[in-house]
Amino acid sequence: MAGTVALRPCGDFRTTYGGDQTVFPTRLSLAFCFLGIAALCFAPFVFSKYVLSLLIQIGYLGIAALGLNILVGFTGQISIGHAVFFGFGAFASAYFSNKLNVPVFFAIPLAGVATTAVGLLFGVPAARLKGLYLAIATLAAQFILEDFFARASWFTGGVAGTAAKSFSIFGIEMSGDQRYFYVVLAYVVILYLAATNLMRTRDGRALVALRDHYLSAEMMGINLTKYRTMSFGVSAFYAGIGGALYGHYLGFVSVEGFGIFFSIQFLAMVIIGGLGSVMGTLMGTVFMVLLPEAMGGLAKLLSGSYIDRLLSLDEGVVFLREMAIGAVIVLFLIFEPDGLAHRWRQIRAYWKLYPFSH
Amino acid sequence: MQSNRKNAVAVLLSAGALLSAAPVATLAQDIPVGHLADFSGPTADVGRPYGQGVADAIAYINRHGGVGGKKLAAETTDYSYKAPQAIAAYKSWSGRVVAIQGWGTADTEALIGFVTNDKLPYYSASYAATLTDPVGGSKADRPAPYNFFYGPSYSDYARGMVQWAADDWTKKGGKGKPKYIHMGANHPYPNSPKAAAEEYAKELGFEVLTPIQYALAPGDFTPQCLTLKQSGANYAYLGNTSGSNVAVLKACQTVGVQVQFLGNVWGMDENAMKAAGSAASNVVYPVRTSATWTDAKAPRMAMMREISKMSDASGTEYRASHYLAGVCSTLYMKESMEWAMANGGVTGENIRKGMYVRQNWVPKGAEGVCVPSTWTAQDHRSVLKFDLYQTDVKAGDGSVGDLIAKGAIQMKRIATIELPRKKEWLGW
Repeated sequence: MAGTVALRPCGDFRTTYGGDQTVFPTRLSLAFCFLGIAALCFAPFVFSKYVLSLLIQIGYLGIAALGLNILVGFTGQISIGHAVFFGFGAFASAYFSNKLNVPVFFAIPLAGVATTAVGLLFGVPAARLKGLYLAIATLAAQFILEDFFARASWFTGGVAGTAAKSFSIFGIEMSGDQRYFYVVLAYVVILYLAATNLMRTRDGRALVALRDHYLSAEMMGINLTKYRTMSFGVSAFYAGIGGALYGHYLGFVSVEGFGIFFSIQFLAMVIIGGLGSVMGTLMGTVFMVLLPEAMGGLAKLLSGSYIDRLLSLDEGVVFLREMAIGAVIVLFLIFEPDGLAHRWRQIRAYWKLYPFSH
Repeated sequence: MQSNRKNAVAVLLSAGALLSAAPVATLAQDIPVGHLADFSGPTADVGRPYGQGVADAIAYINRHGGVGGKKLAAETTDYSYKAPQAIAAYKSWSGRVVAIQGWGTADTEALIGFVTNDKLPYYSASYAATLTDPVGGSKADRPAPYNFFYGPSYSDYARGMVQWAADDWTKKGGKGKPKYIHMGANHPYPNSPKAAAEEYAKELGFEVLTPIQYALAPGDFTPQCLTLKQSGANYAYLGNTSGSNVAVLKACQTVGVQVQFLGNVWGMDENAMKAAGSAASNVVYPVRTSATWTDAKAPRMAMMREISKMSDASGTEYRASHYLAGVCSTLYMKESMEWAMANGGVTGENIRKGMYVRQNWVPKGAEGVCVPSTWTAQDHRSVLKFDLYQTDVKAGDGSVGDLIAKGAIQMKRIATIELPRKKEWLGW
């Protein structure tokens, strides 16, 4: 399924290395990207607080999900403990800014680095384990770190959690949805560009080679241990940054927020978005953030209605949301294993080539 | 893949456009109030009756003239007992609501800084002692000038029960030092009174044993009961909510533990007695209203019966003690809002002042149910007096109301505790 990255329409050949590696295939796509980002800059003036909070959520979750996609989609590893790295980043950033008085501006990247170290540590078993065994090893990371959060009061405030300062730059408070939006937007743009570029480098190609056939990759001289561990490190870095952004946005970090369900949600984001697709990750995140909102709205509509009474859903209405998430993951795995990114490419190709698609 | 950057942006934009019609439908003249409830999390067992009490009281207030003619527009969020979700809900309210009816300890403590900054009165269902110091300087980490709750603090309840246990030990002619043990999840709510009760127990001559942990979500607690049996404890404090305690009481009955259990204020109620059957017998627990639903026919319960009809038109539903606590908490908020309205407008600051203007007060119509309370700008321990009840439960079939009518569930008032208002006990 991951091979879809290389899928191109018939007759679309690249004749130069530059053409093959370009981020923006046409000038128009470049223009659209800049236009999109510029349009987003106006979002705080246009949208309500509610929409902004959703966009911010999409931002920090999207960054963390991209980390997981680098690990799962590009390197072919698996992790069901991504949420704890997200959590570690949040706690680390709060710790740096509260206890060590590091300005939040620097605490966020620093938290990313600290989380990378933790990710590398837990990535070590990845050098030797594959598939299900690796999944269980990362599950261990989930439980070990969760327990650590609950007990390490000096670092996390224990079960009571810890407050996180608000973001400020040059003495300007970037708190509140309207201002914090720009912080998250900046991080999204930088980190998404970085990931896109990572995949154009020697290291990025090594990761993909590793995924496609590790034996061949090793024969070509790729150091499997190094790249598998590195992939965990990079993935943890993204999770850490996402978590730190989340912590300073909410202003409070608590161990309860980083359970296994959250890890599964990250997996759902990358599967729904498209494994091995940078932009698909963002689509998957958008989908996973909006789905509960949509289902919540539906549940509200249903409650007290005829259908509610007929099926005697009663309090079950609120659980529709949780069930829908499960159902959607299953449906995507069956009908669209390549994710939203693939579906989007097909829609685009259809319009581009209309009415002669072949 | 790179070419899809613009597409994702387009998706983002269209999603935003779809949702830009924000779902807020409060009228300008209404008084917006936030309501955090746990209907689906680990404390939902007691969160439902309490949340229903708050919702019914608000509905009743709105039907009977509102607050000075204005209706309370409550926005209820079920946050599943997850502090981050509570804070997200708070953020979506801030700037709009003038007061909040809250719930758990972890989230209420996490929100102290926020509500202090935003000057929003926060009526929690957490009775953690850390919320009782409005000035600072006590053992609490920080002052909580905008936090209020109805009834004594967890620490004071626990101290009261330790005091009762000491009397009980001498009355029964126990020999040697009685042994006290704290049981509960490793969570801010069960942890809250631990240190206070243990220190007071030591002061009263108890031997304090190593605490035993059991989860907030009900499970198999046989290992915990075996540990408890081995420890030889005489008095065991149950720090969790009733659902979890039912599980522990049943397991301990099976194992054959002979301990006097002390349930906390959320740790024992009529529904739990029905669920646990005879295992819930002899538990001592505090009740924070002057009446329980068994007094429903008494004239002083007239208003409570009317409030209950807001969600139960037939008027047959049995309401656990938590329901009444939810009603009381809402009524205190309502009356301080009325004061605020008459004295400069319904703002957070004025509502807070409204809480201070009277001494030993009970909301109108709730006399004989809500306990007379006094909040001052220096001390938010509104009540230091409460009743201890003991359960007597036999297994039986039927609804809670039926079982009580049949006498299968009995709650006997065994003591009234009054603690001194010690300065050194403030805030912990």
